[in-house]
Amino acid sequence: MKNSYRALAVAAAASCAALPQIAFAEGTGGAEILIPKMAEFVPALIAFLIILFVLAKMAWPQILSTMEERERRIADSLDEAEKTRQKALADRKASDDIVTDARRQAAEIVLAARQDAETERSRILAAAHAEAEDILAKAHASAEEERRSIYADAAASIADLSVSVASKIVAKTLDEDGEQRRLIERYIEEAGSLNAD
Amino acid sequence: MEAFAKLSGEIQELVAEFSSAPVVGDLTVGLTQYSFWLLVAAAVLCIAMVVFVKKQSLVPHGFFVNGVEYLVEYVENDVAKGVVGTEWRRHFPFLATIFFFILINNFIGLIPGMKPGTGAIGCTAALALVTFVYFIYFGCKKHGFIGYWKSLAPAGVAFPMNVFVWVIEVFSLLLRPITLAIRLFCNMFAGHIVMGSFSIMAALFAEPLLEHFSAVNALGALPSIAWLAILLVIYAVELIVAFVQAYVFTVLAAVYIQIAEAEGH
Repeated sequence: MKNSYRALAVAAAASCAALPQIAFAEGTGGAEILIPKMAEFVPALIAFLIILFVLAKMAWPQILSTMEERERRIADSLDEAEKTRQKALADRKASDDIVTDARRQAAEIVLAARQDAETERSRILAAAHAEAEDILAKAHASAEEERRSIYADAAASIADLSVSVASKIVAKTLDEDGEQRRLIERYIEEAGSLNAD
Repeated sequence: MEAFAKLSGEIQELVAEFSSAPVVGDLTVGLTQYSFWLLVAAAVLCIAMVVFVKKQSLVPHGFFVNGVEYLVEYVENDVAKGVVGTEWRRHFPFLATIFFFILINNFIGLIPGMKPGTGAIGCTAALALVTFVYFIYFGCKKHGFIGYWKSLAPAGVAFPMNVFVWVIEVFSLLLRPITLAIRLFCNMFAGHIVMGSFSIMAALFAEPLLEHFSAVNALGALPSIAWLAILLVIYAVELIVAFVQAYVFTVLAAVYIQIAEAEGH
């Protein structure tokens, strides 16, 4: 820029010194129109140089920098927008992958849960069956035991009653040492075993 | 036709009116009508640039700011970057200023009643001389004073011929400011003379009708409509010429700068 001003200073000096004064003299005829007049040349030169100096110093650098700044910002914004778009696409793909994975995992979890539930149900059912069978068996055994006990008690009672009845009938005890009693009990036992069969 | 009889005298009067005449002082020291309008155009340019610089922002608003920016970008891309090349930034202030200076002057001259500053050879000569000194200076700066003048002769030409070519090149170099000045001046001057001629013709043919309304006069005034239509077309063309001449001057200045700074011819 400094060189430009130096060039302009040279131009100003040259304009006054280099051109022969005769060139500005009023000519005659049609050629007169092509001869520069000092009254036009000097004001035009000075006005142009002043404007050039002022604009070169104060206007053009600022105008250019504003336009370049705008250009740079637009380019940056476009780059940023493109990056954001790419990132959004990548994020969307990642989120889609996550959702797909989550769905797959959820399906697997549900499937596993169903299998577990089924297994548990089968196990509980089997356990319940087993327990029921057990309870039933125990109930049968208990009932059998009870029946046997009742039969034994009944046999004892019948024997006692028979002995008692027989004693009363014969008015004396037939068998003091209990031989009759043992016969009766054996008889009842045989009868009971026959009944149990 | 009475109008045609008057035409020659009117045209001569018009041309005389377009000749430089002092409004202050004389033709050596003072101001002519062209210098006056050139100073007006310079003031308009300064005001326009101040307003533009104040209004210019990162987000441009309005016709004025966008319009000026369009022109600035045009000079930057098509002239500075396109012609000068890598050194465009150094020369942009000069090229942009000369473009806008000529453009404003040309447009000011198109407003009826005003004259273009560029319609006088003295004004265009000043611009051409500044351009000439500018590119010679940068040529000398790039190659050195002797190197620049030597570079005018093409390399690889044998001894007697290269001197001959050098003389032709120097002659061509010295003609550049003259052609710059005369091209711009003649285009603006001639355009205004043509527009003035057609407006005179339109007025001359309509004159009898304005003085006395009659069927004959109305019939005689009909060509005025054609002259007015042609005048409007020429006016439109002159609007384009105003822009084109500013562009041509600036592009040639850029070309001369580029040639002066070029490594070899």
